[in-house]
Amino acid sequence: MTTVVEAEGLTKRFGKVTALDNVSFSLEEGAIHGLLGRNGAGKTTLMNLLTAQDFASDGAVRIFGASPVENATALRRVCFIKESQVYPDDFKGKHVLRSAPWFFDNWDAEFAQRLVAAFDVPLDRKMKKLSRGQRSAIGVIVGLASRAELTFLDEPYAGLDAVARRRFYDLLLEDYAAHPRTIVLSTHLIDEAADLLQRVVVIDQGRVVIDADADELRGSATTLVGRASDVDAFAAGRDVIDRTTMGGIASVTMTGLSDEDRRAASAAGLEAASVSLQELIVNRTGGRAGLDPSAQEDAA
Amino acid sequence: MTATDTRAASAPAPARGATPIARILNVVRLHVANPVPTLVLPWAITFAIFALNLAIWLMVARAAGGVENLEEDAFQYNGGISWIVVFMMVVAIQAMSLTFRFALGFSVTRRDYYLGSALFFVLLSLLYSTGLTVIGGIERATDGWGLGAAFFAPFGLYEEPMLTVWFVYLAAMLLFFFLGAAVATVWMRWRAYGLYVFFLGLAVVVVASGWIITATDSWPAVGEFFVSTSPVAIAAWTLPVTLVCAAVGFALLRRATSRS
Repeated sequence: MTTVVEAEGLTKRFGKVTALDNVSFSLEEGAIHGLLGRNGAGKTTLMNLLTAQDFASDGAVRIFGASPVENATALRRVCFIKESQVYPDDFKGKHVLRSAPWFFDNWDAEFAQRLVAAFDVPLDRKMKKLSRGQRSAIGVIVGLASRAELTFLDEPYAGLDAVARRRFYDLLLEDYAAHPRTIVLSTHLIDEAADLLQRVVVIDQGRVVIDADADELRGSATTLVGRASDVDAFAAGRDVIDRTTMGGIASVTMTGLSDEDRRAASAAGLEAASVSLQELIVNRTGGRAGLDPSAQEDAA
Repeated sequence: MTATDTRAASAPAPARGATPIARILNVVRLHVANPVPTLVLPWAITFAIFALNLAIWLMVARAAGGVENLEEDAFQYNGGISWIVVFMMVVAIQAMSLTFRFALGFSVTRRDYYLGSALFFVLLSLLYSTGLTVIGGIERATDGWGLGAAFFAPFGLYEEPMLTVWFVYLAAMLLFFFLGAAVATVWMRWRAYGLYVFFLGLAVVVVASGWIITATDSWPAVGEFFVSTSPVAIAAWTLPVTLVCAAVGFALLRRATSRS
């Protein structure tokens, strides 16, 4: 396994606002990574720094082992698709697709055509006149057909409907299987994308709060539901990250349960359910152990 | 690192555009992808101004009862063509502000982007100066469109050889293209506030120069310089200014981001 992305003590300040605060992590080659977090958590800022579109205030970035800043050799292996991408005035979809192969060496024009049909985007209309979803679709087409060794997709399907999103996941997986590469997908539709992700980096308020294997993460938390007294007895002294009570019934989410613990819980009359990636991340970023339910809603 | 390299080698043929020259040429192609603002509009404006002047000349000639009733050089003091030279600044500003963030989003380095844009501006300068000189040649061959007029090589250039006309155009175009490039990068770095400061600074420099010239009683010397110096020499004097603009643009763009 080779490391393709490394961040070390990465910090980005905009005036008095610290958008990224001492972020360190690394991503291995050949996987679909999830970069998750709430709006404004610093995901886009992070990707801007990783692709040298912006400059770090402090710390270091390495892609393919070198700094990406003004590094044409490294950047040519990178494709970064973001919702905020600006297109030249009067540029139509066809202009975008025509110019993409000038900048992406692995561009597959045939695949691009297939994607155009799959997402049904009008190529003869100005980018400015397209709907948000249609613009996103063009971004997705460029992101997939460029087959860059390192592809960043920042909220790639903003404005796309459920059908188009499903299509995107299918095409992404299919193409990834045929042409393995490193893909970093940032999204807040965590449940939808969860099955795709092999590794998950969660940032919250500019800090990395989770950096773990997706499977490990999924197994890491369990929700137990039962009579409040039973639940409380079992939960005492354990690592509880969320707790709700309704009538006499309580539900707690806790981490670090072994199989043995689960059997014990079951014997105590508690019902165990695994926690989805989304719930887990909501708990870890907005929920703050359920102290602030309104923040939790926002995050979802 | 070794593993990454082997993987890159086994990846589907990364042949296109790998060399620095090809990367820079691709930026030129990006500028031409939509040819209207840079290749169509300036010509359209030139011909519109020319057509209006032609209409005025014909009107004056008609009122005078024929060209022969007018002074020989009546239609030779014309500054219409200078508009198109100044307009090149707008062309440069537009070209850069339209494509920079797109290019950055498509993994182009700032260096490649600037060099590609600079090459594009040099090519445009060559194209326009050559084009205007050719039309100027036609103007002379037709005795000023049959009216003794001088639009494409007006006073100051009227008596000069075509090669001089071409060189003056080329130097002037280059100056305004790179002035535009510098202004565009100020805009990209600091947006509107950058431009306020830039133009305020420019105004201060101009007024201060006026003061210094006045205080030292140098106006006659300045006038003398422009009278005694040939158009070629004056045009050549713009080249160092153009180079400074180009360098400023490069230095500013190196730290420009895709934000805002």
